[in-house]
Amino acid sequence: MSSRTEQLPSKFHGAVIKWREAYLPDFPLLMETWEKFFPTEPKFELCAFRQLGMCTTIECGEHTGKPKYQKASEMAPETAHHLYGAIRAQASTEFGSIQQHRLTLARAQNEEEQFWILRMMAEELRHGYQMLHLLAGDDWSNVTSESTEQMIEGILSMNTGSHVLSAFNIDFDSFVDSVVFCGLIDRVGKYQLSMQKVSAYQPMAESMPRMLQEEAFHLAAGVVPMRRWVTRAATGDVTITVPALQKTINKWLQRGLEMFGDERGGASNVKMGLKPLKNYEAQQQYRDEVGKLVRDLNLRYLRARVPSLSIGEAESTLERILAGEVIEGIERDDLLRLPHVDFFRRRGTSAFTMIGRDGERFDDLNAYAQHLAQNLPEAYLAGRDFSEYLDLLGQVVRGETTAEAAAAKSPALRRVGGACPCSKAVRWVVDDPTPASPVLVGA
Amino acid sequence: MSSESQVLVRQIDDLDISAVVAIDERIGGAYRPEVWERRISYHLRRDPETALAAEHEGEVVGFMLGDVRSGEFGLEEPTGWVEVVGVDPRSRGLGVGRKLAEEMFERFRARGAASVRTLVENDREELVQFFGSVGFEPAKLTALVRSI
Repeated sequence: MSSRTEQLPSKFHGAVIKWREAYLPDFPLLMETWEKFFPTEPKFELCAFRQLGMCTTIECGEHTGKPKYQKASEMAPETAHHLYGAIRAQASTEFGSIQQHRLTLARAQNEEEQFWILRMMAEELRHGYQMLHLLAGDDWSNVTSESTEQMIEGILSMNTGSHVLSAFNIDFDSFVDSVVFCGLIDRVGKYQLSMQKVSAYQPMAESMPRMLQEEAFHLAAGVVPMRRWVTRAATGDVTITVPALQKTINKWLQRGLEMFGDERGGASNVKMGLKPLKNYEAQQQYRDEVGKLVRDLNLRYLRARVPSLSIGEAESTLERILAGEVIEGIERDDLLRLPHVDFFRRRGTSAFTMIGRDGERFDDLNAYAQHLAQNLPEAYLAGRDFSEYLDLLGQVVRGETTAEAAAAKSPALRRVGGACPCSKAVRWVVDDPTPASPVLVGA
Repeated sequence: MSSESQVLVRQIDDLDISAVVAIDERIGGAYRPEVWERRISYHLRRDPETALAAEHEGEVVGFMLGDVRSGEFGLEEPTGWVEVVGVDPRSRGLGVGRKLAEEMFERFRARGAASVRTLVENDREELVQFFGSVGFEPAKLTALVRSI
């Protein structure tokens, strides 16, 4: 199947270029060195791709079989409202992840891995551009009073702290964050894009194939370095250890789970034909996938620690270690594990419950804070995101607020004034405690 | 339902690397994770839709990596190239290679290719037979090599 390329109107295209200059200053370097790192691969192009020849009838929900919507105005207001929110949030994540990665890009140990992440950042910029193209290409006046200029300016003005989803409001502390984020949070994005590929809104569905193609590499840009790191750790390298990787997984995986929205939600999106899976179903599949990743990393580690193991022996040895045996000096705690689904949660059914990494229940706030401190990266503990979480958790534990209110009340940076992409006019604000609306998006 | 119809072919992904490493090891006896990490990363960057994995009963039992290129070796028209195929020796007889090839040809066609090419060492009898069974014939192009 072929695709066509389109550009935003020049004033919006120019605004994205300005944004790129501010937040992706290494872009010219990527272009200059493209042939070195990506020989024979088509060069990056900032444009919107629309796949041709896709299904033109609604593929799921109560309107299955009817023609897909070409315009937002053809939809019921509720459907258009959900769709608008999803596009806006998707755009926010794409630009938001670049702002996160730029903090740690220079700290990569390995030039190849650094340029993989840099390319990924450029492609996230294109994904954001693709979402802006959806906003600029339609009339959204039935769901928002904002003009196209205001919508695009609002998205380009967001910064780490003011994005729609919490995973994109957490600063990266090291290149380990950068890589684990690709392997875990971009994986949520893959689910989102896959589900939007069957969207009842034709322009959205047509936008997804190229984004999914690019996302496939973004996941590899996370998974392959992690595989290399556990191999090096197994042979004594102290720079990125298994415990360091485990703590970073603990930091991000739970935010990834929450990006699927409340476990009880998602039915309306399915009914409206915007997505084929409810939140819980997609979240469960995602967690199973991460479980497979963790198992693969453990096998890679084990075979590096004990090179004499054959493939069959490695698999059976891994099972025995996971069951509690110590083999060749390797024990359960030397390997990676999935944190419990309810560990360190602040959205969903287990928000602000004190559940430990292995599912153990805590009754004492201080003991739980200590447990979190032992299982999260040290640099993250010093940041505002974690201290605000602890503060809200304390309020819930003392009965001063409910978990639901705390989830909705998590402080975030919001733009409260100013207009240009480099606006400094963002402030910490606390929203009124209204129930969090479930929304699923990802980079 | 025949075993062949139970083979599902889909786009390869980052989590298939371990399975590909294992299949390669079962075929050739060497454990080469770095080779496949790099190679699959390349295909995921370049065109993930022409990098395929075959599943049977939930396990990855085969893979095929390909590409559509033009302008190489004097072949100006878009041409599908099958670069590597691997089937788990324990899953031979399920039609895994055939299913992979059929899906790959379909994807090549969708990219405008009218022919598919590959290179096989003459002494790899099994591979020569496999490609013959899915319609490949000897081509006029001759592979040449020299040490430098």
